[in-house]
Amino acid sequence: MSNSGHSEQLRLGFLAAVEVEGRGYVGGLLVTNQNGRPLEFQCTTPVKPDRTQEILYGKMLRPWLLGELIGQTLLQRVSIKPDMILTSDPDILELRNHIDIPVACTLDSTSSRSGQLDIEATAQMGGRKLRFHSTHQDDSKFVTRQSHLLPGQADLEEPLERVQEALNETIRTVMAR
Amino acid sequence: MSLPQPECHVINLQSRAELASAGFNPALKRIPQVDAVSIPLQPRPDFVPSWKPRRIPIKCIGLTLPEGLAFQPTKSEETLSDGVVLKRIDPPKKKQDNDEKPQRTRIKPPKNALSLQDRLFYLLQPPLETWLAGQELIMPFEPFGYQYEGIAWMFARHSALLADEMGLGKTMQTITGIRLLLRSGQINRILLICPKPLIPNWQREFRTWAEELPIVTIEGSGARRRMLWTMPGVPILITNYESMTRDLAEFSEEEQPKFDLLILDEAQRIKNRDSRTAEVARGINRRRSWALTGTPIENRPEELASLFEFLEVIPPRATPDLRQLSALAKEHILRRTKDLVMKDMPPRIDRDAELVLTDAQQYAYTVAEKEGIIQLNELGDSISVQHVFELVMRLKQITNYDPLTNESAKLERLVADMEEIAASGGKAILFSQWTKPLNWLAERLQQFNPLIYHGGVPTKHREPILAKFKEDPDAHIILMSYGTGAVGLNLQFAHYVFLFDRWWNPAIEDQAINRAHRIGVTAPVIVTRFICKDTIEERIDRVLREKREIAEAILGGGDNENVSLGLNASEIFGLFDLKKRTKKGTSESIGPVRPEAA
Repeated sequence: MSNSGHSEQLRLGFLAAVEVEGRGYVGGLLVTNQNGRPLEFQCTTPVKPDRTQEILYGKMLRPWLLGELIGQTLLQRVSIKPDMILTSDPDILELRNHIDIPVACTLDSTSSRSGQLDIEATAQMGGRKLRFHSTHQDDSKFVTRQSHLLPGQADLEEPLERVQEALNETIRTVMAR
Repeated sequence: MSLPQPECHVINLQSRAELASAGFNPALKRIPQVDAVSIPLQPRPDFVPSWKPRRIPIKCIGLTLPEGLAFQPTKSEETLSDGVVLKRIDPPKKKQDNDEKPQRTRIKPPKNALSLQDRLFYLLQPPLETWLAGQELIMPFEPFGYQYEGIAWMFARHSALLADEMGLGKTMQTITGIRLLLRSGQINRILLICPKPLIPNWQREFRTWAEELPIVTIEGSGARRRMLWTMPGVPILITNYESMTRDLAEFSEEEQPKFDLLILDEAQRIKNRDSRTAEVARGINRRRSWALTGTPIENRPEELASLFEFLEVIPPRATPDLRQLSALAKEHILRRTKDLVMKDMPPRIDRDAELVLTDAQQYAYTVAEKEGIIQLNELGDSISVQHVFELVMRLKQITNYDPLTNESAKLERLVADMEEIAASGGKAILFSQWTKPLNWLAERLQQFNPLIYHGGVPTKHREPILAKFKEDPDAHIILMSYGTGAVGLNLQFAHYVFLFDRWWNPAIEDQAINRAHRIGVTAPVIVTRFICKDTIEERIDRVLREKREIAEAILGGGDNENVSLGLNASEIFGLFDLKKRTKKGTSESIGPVRPEAA
C-alpha cells in the first residue's frame, strides 16, 4: 500500500449472478475499497428471458443477459462507481463491450468454462491471475498499473462468494414473501 | 407328368376414330385473339413478421454501507512507548490439510435481524481474518480462531453477554469488536464501565490493541466529570461503577448522555437487579448492550435474569425459568472454556497442600473451637449465621498462623516452596482473604522481596507495583487480596499461585488463579491450595467441592471448574455440629433448615 494512505484509492466492483430455477437470473454487484471493505451493494430481482429471446440469442443469451442487461443495469444503479469490474463468470465479460471500465475474470485457465471465450491477455492482481475479453486485451495494462494498490495476497474470489451469499439471502427473503 | 405346351394368339389393338360432322369443328381450327393487360407489382408484402430486441425491465434492491470512522493510515511496524511492538499480521493462512481455502471467519447475521438490508450488511462484511490482516487495522498479535469467532459474534449483536472463562481474552475481543463497529460506521459513541481498579488495565489494553482509538477516562472533580460525560467527539468513555451511579444521577432526564454501545465489564456487579448500580446501568440511554463476565452465575441462576434484563432481552421484572434461561443463553451468551479452545495452552496443575497445624496452632485452634461451639450452643434459638460466621473466621485465621506465637505450618511450607521458585528465577502470586496476614507474611518473606497489592494500597500506586513485579527479577512474590487482585489483571509471567486461605466461592478462587493462567502463559501454572488437616478448612473444601455442578445445566457442558455456588447460611451452620438442649434433656440441631436435595 502506498505511504500516502488514503490518497490512492481503487474501488472494485464484484459482479456475480445466480440462476433461480424457473425464474431466471439474479445479479449482484458489490463495490468495495481495495481492502475488500464493502461500500455499496445492488442486486436485481429475477430476470427471465422469454422464448423468442432464448431462440434468437442462442449461445449469446447468457452473455447478453448477464453482461449487457444485468451488469450494465447494476453499474448504472450504483452511486459509488467502481474503477474496474471483477467476475468469475466468463459470460459477464460481455459487459466490457458496453462500458468504459475494465472487466476482468478471475476464472482459472484450467476451468472448463474458461474455454468459452478467446482470452489471451492476463494480469496478476492480489493473489489471482486475471483474464480479459478478447476485444479489450489492453485492460490488462490498466490492471497491472493498479495492482500495487492491492495487498499482495488479497483473494479476489472471496468477495464474489459474499455476493453469491447475499444473492441467495435475497432470493430466500423475496421467495418467502 | 407332362406340362401343357404354351400357345400364342395375336390380338389387334388398332382401333379407328372418326369425326362425326357436328358443325363446330371449324371453330376449333381458328387462332385465338390475345390482348396484353398491365398489372402493377406490389412494392412490399402485406405482412412482414418483425422483432426488435426488447429490454427486459429490471428492478434493483440496493444497500449503501455506512462510511465509518476515518482512521490514521496504516504504518509499518512500530514500537509503542511501553515496548509493545505492533506487527502487521499475515493474511489468512491456508490450512495444512490440503484445503485450498484459508481459514475465514464470516460474520453471521443474528436471528433477530429481520430486515433484508440488516442481514445483507452482516453478510457483505469481509472475513475477519482479511479485515484484520494488517490491511487496514494493525493487530499486535494474531488472534486465535475462537477469538475471531467471538469478535464476529459480538459484532453482529445488539445484546451480547461474553462469558468466556477468565484468561481467554474477553478484553481483546471486546476492543476489536468496538474497533470494527466504529470502522464500519455502526457506532460512534461507546461507554465502558468497569470496576475502578481495572481502569488502568483497560487503558493499557486499548493502547495495545487499538492505539488509534481515542479514549477518555471520566475522573476528576464533579464539574470536570460532568463536562467529560457530555463532551462531543470522544468515541470511547471509560468510567467505574461508582462514578456511573453517582454522576448520572446529576443529569436530568433530558440531559442524560446517549451512547451507541454500553459495555459492562465484570457484569456480575449488576447481578442483584434491585441494586442501585443495576438500576442505573439499565437506565442508560443506548442502542447496543454488551456485558462481560467470566462468572455469569456466581451464586444463583436468577442472577442471569438481571443480566438479561440489562441486555433488554427480557421485559422488566421478568422471572424466566431454567428452560427459558437456557434458551436465552443460547442466543445471547457466548462462553468458551480453556479446556475447549486452548488445547495447546500449558496446563494448570492444581495441588492441595494438606498441612498439619503446628503444636501451638493446634492448641490455639482446639481451644477456640471448643469455646466457640459452647458459646454458640448457649445462644440456642437466638443464634444467627453471623455468630457462626465469626467463629469460622476466627478458626480460619488460626490456621493461617497462631497470633500468640506466630507459628504457622503454612508459612513453613510457603518458605520451602518459595526458596525453590526464587532459585529458578520464578515468580509467584499469593492470595489471602484478609490484608492482615498479607502484611504479616510480607515481614517474614523479605528474602523474596515481596510486593503487596490489596484494597489498602492507593489506586495510583497499584500500576507501579504490578510493573515492578513484572520487571524486577528479584521480586519473586506478590501478596494479593482476593477482592483486589482477583479480577482483570494480566500476570501470566507468574507460574506459581498460592491460595494461602480459601475464599467462600471457588469461582472467585478461579478468577484469582486465572491472573496467571491465561493467554500468553508459556509454562504450566502450578496452583497450591493450603488446607490444614482436621480443621474448618477441610470441611469448607468438602462442601464447596460438592457444589460445583449446578449452573452447568444452564451454561452447557465444558464448564468444569468455574461456575460454582458459594456457601449458604444452612451450609455454614452445617460446618459445626451445633445442638441446643431441649427441656426433655435431649438435643436438637439449631440453625436454618437445610434445603431438600433437588
